[in-house]
Amino acid sequence: MTLIARRLAGHLARGFVMIIVVATISFFIINNIPGDPMAAQYDKLLQSGMSPEAATQAVKVLYGFQPTGSLWQQYTDYIGGLLHLDLGTSVSRPGQPVLGVLGEAAKWTILPVLGGTLLSFLVGVILGVYAAIKRKSKLGDALAISGSLLHGIPQYVLAMLLVVIFATLIPILPADGPVDIMFEPGFNAGYLGSLAEHAVLPIATYALSAYGGWVLAMKSSVVTVLGDDFILAAELRGMKRSIIFRYIARNAILPLFTILALSLGLLLGGAVFIEKIFNYPGLGWLLIESINTRDYALMGGAFLLITAAVIVANIVADLFYTVIDPRVRSGEDST
Amino acid sequence: MSTVLIPETASAAATMRRNFWLGVWRVMKRKPSRLAGVIIIAGFAFMGAFGPMFYPDQLPDDSNAITQAPSWAHWFGTDPQGRDVLALVITGSRYVLLSAAVTAVITVVFGTTLGLFSGFKRGRWDSVLMRITDMKLTIPGLPLLLVLAMVWKFGSPIQMGLVLGLLGWGGVARAVRAQTLSLRERGFIEAARGLGLSTRHIIGKELLPSMAPYIAMNMLIAVTGAVYAQVGLFFLGVLPYEANNWGVMLNLAVFQAGAMITPNALGYLLGPLLAILLLTLGIVLVVDAMDEIFNPRLREE
Amino acid sequence: MADQAPGVRIDGLTVVYKTPAGELPAVRGISLTLEPGTITGIVGESGSGKSTLALSLLNAVQPPGRIAAGSVEIDGLGDVVGLAGEQLRKARGAHIGYVFQAAQNSLNPLKTVGKQLLDLGRSHGVEDLPGLVREARELLGRMGLDGARVLDSHQHELSGGMRQRVGIMLALVLNAHLVVLDEPTTALDMITQANILKIVREVHAERGLTTLVITHDIGVVAEVADRLAVMYGGRLVEQGPTREVLGAPRHPYTRGLIKAIPRLVGDIDEARALPGRPPTLATVPKEGCVFRERCPQRMDVCDTVDPSVVADGARVVACHAVTVKEHAS
Repeated sequence: MTLIARRLAGHLARGFVMIIVVATISFFIINNIPGDPMAAQYDKLLQSGMSPEAATQAVKVLYGFQPTGSLWQQYTDYIGGLLHLDLGTSVSRPGQPVLGVLGEAAKWTILPVLGGTLLSFLVGVILGVYAAIKRKSKLGDALAISGSLLHGIPQYVLAMLLVVIFATLIPILPADGPVDIMFEPGFNAGYLGSLAEHAVLPIATYALSAYGGWVLAMKSSVVTVLGDDFILAAELRGMKRSIIFRYIARNAILPLFTILALSLGLLLGGAVFIEKIFNYPGLGWLLIESINTRDYALMGGAFLLITAAVIVANIVADLFYTVIDPRVRSGEDST
Repeated sequence: MSTVLIPETASAAATMRRNFWLGVWRVMKRKPSRLAGVIIIAGFAFMGAFGPMFYPDQLPDDSNAITQAPSWAHWFGTDPQGRDVLALVITGSRYVLLSAAVTAVITVVFGTTLGLFSGFKRGRWDSVLMRITDMKLTIPGLPLLLVLAMVWKFGSPIQMGLVLGLLGWGGVARAVRAQTLSLRERGFIEAARGLGLSTRHIIGKELLPSMAPYIAMNMLIAVTGAVYAQVGLFFLGVLPYEANNWGVMLNLAVFQAGAMITPNALGYLLGPLLAILLLTLGIVLVVDAMDEIFNPRLREE
Repeated sequence: MADQAPGVRIDGLTVVYKTPAGELPAVRGISLTLEPGTITGIVGESGSGKSTLALSLLNAVQPPGRIAAGSVEIDGLGDVVGLAGEQLRKARGAHIGYVFQAAQNSLNPLKTVGKQLLDLGRSHGVEDLPGLVREARELLGRMGLDGARVLDSHQHELSGGMRQRVGIMLALVLNAHLVVLDEPTTALDMITQANILKIVREVHAERGLTTLVITHDIGVVAEVADRLAVMYGGRLVEQGPTREVLGAPRHPYTRGLIKAIPRLVGDIDEARALPGRPPTLATVPKEGCVFRERCPQRMDVCDTVDPSVVADGARVVACHAVTVKEHAS
């Protein structure tokens, strides 16, 4: 379809600009770090008897750009490396390319994020419909307030409360790392069981902290659709309640799919707190780790990947919308 | 043929300003919980402003009472240096609230100015500004803050508020722009122009008062996010140690005192945690009330 | 139900809306008979209660409103006010067709017209769904549309006039013989208005319907209706055969309405707008005549006594001035 192709092209162009912007931010931050670690490293290598060329090369491998030359030269060098997917080499894990480290970490982020988000979406949407229909009763009020509260509580507070309750006061669930080290990694029951057990609290935290948002969004969406003319029209045509309910649900849930895609993208970066508290070696954990160990190439790479996830999520959300909403599909924006 | 002959009478919309405080009072009265929200926020403001005056600059430590569980003498127990947790929470509130205030001012000034400008001028300026806002909304805030923390140490609450404000005005700008455009669509601005009013008058006397509620609500949401972000940054330990700070308390409680393993240190963790929860509750209740005052759709029929 | 036009007898109907100021009547003590096989037009300004009256025919007044008193007897159904639950649901659509204003989006934006037609059929237990589709296609074809294509379209792909015809199709396809049209021509261009009215007239005759048209446009009524009823402030102020009422209006409000019509021939200055504005739910006077504030023939009695509805042959009018004049002569 040409419309999809046209939209996709526009998104890709904008996404590219965003990547460059983020890379530029990373560049200037690394360039402005107090104490100038790059120059220090360069000088150290020179003093250890390396030739200037070899030292330059070594620093470049570490940081992704040369320590000498004009700012512009350093900048183009850095961006050029990015375009070749060369994110440099990790300092804290000598010899490992940043890309590989990121890939390893992403594995630990994606599963809990996906599980928690989908779980909260399912529960939140169902309860949101209920909160909208019962919005004048005590129960509906309670649902909405619980939604606002859970939505309002910062993720790290929720995570800590869960740890305190389920790992300290009533120690029934582990809260330390992604898996028990006593098990051999692989497809055996012990390892997988431990993996699942360790994932319960992080997934519960994701789910609880996102749940409130879904309840509120679905509630307001359903309330809006309930006021639409076509619902009254269907009622006056004597449509069955079950069919009317389906009409409401489909129309109300449509805008939420966009938010779902966007939040999946944002969660990759938002996982920082949960991964830190539960000691999960995912992308957020890696970002903090790289900052604490002054691993600049890794930090830049993690930041870039997290932003790229948001951009991709944006594109997916838009294309998805184009596919499921007939109004967008036919290329005209009514309502 | 048929002619529309009866003019559809638009009921004269009552000006929001006149009925505003009346509406506020009605909404507050209907659900006392909302009044509680206002009281909680006021209480925190009071705590931040005057709380630290009741304590010496250097809180007394007691090496005989290190990391104690809550007791009558220490309601939330003591920290690993034997200091009273409640006193730490109260003195720590100033940093949080002061930076929140700075954030609030910046989001409002920046967001409103840019939103108004965008919605008023439209055209090229509008699309450029909105593109920038979009970009800002696309870059995930927390990771950006973490990365920024490498070069900027956020030494004072003012600096912290400044950075958070500069990162957080996007939402307010969008809301203000949307409002300006909708007022414009309703012929509001053209009508005022037709009456010979100056741009300054239109903005200051007509536009701003009618969207003050939206600005206030979005500001509150931005500020809430900023409070969480700054406590979170200290909690993650990417910023240098800062005395009397909720985030630092959380960090020390979890990663040094082992509050999540030893029940004795639980008070040290729960002190700041409950403070954040209470602040959240207050803000949620106030936003809920504002929502109903300004969003007629949600108002009960 | 028999395949013939039903008669409708509305008696003493009162509908109230719950407001912060208590329950206020939107429709008060209305009695009106729709003879089988006729087209009745109800004219009134917005807020006169005409849409509320139309919804009452389906017992579908939306909360916070409710029918407080009166009955709506429909042949073959009984008193609709007493119906509830499944009985009421099945009566809607199968016995009474309701056509929404064209500007309103009366179709689910995510589904094609055809799929919604099937939903309608399933809701009413239609076994022969292909037959239903055939019937719908014929109806649409009868109204000058390409039936197959329209059934395959989404709402946003249809123009206002097409949507209106789809609305009429959905109201008739289950073989309802009582049809309520709410503002059938509002927000349509002139040519389309004329087309829709022609269709209403023809379909009404062909299928043997009893039709009620609600409008603020007296021209529409003049075009299609056999009988005309004028509403003001929740009251029926005058009714009678369309020609007679338009030719010799008795109620000062009806007269004002007709005077306000600009004519193609003649001076534009002759068209005179009615002074003042219609009352809202909150400003309708609690006692006395609802129209007195704008009435050129206001008398003392109008402030205190509600004018009673006086029948004179086929004509009915509720006005002190008219009653007084008749007594005098």
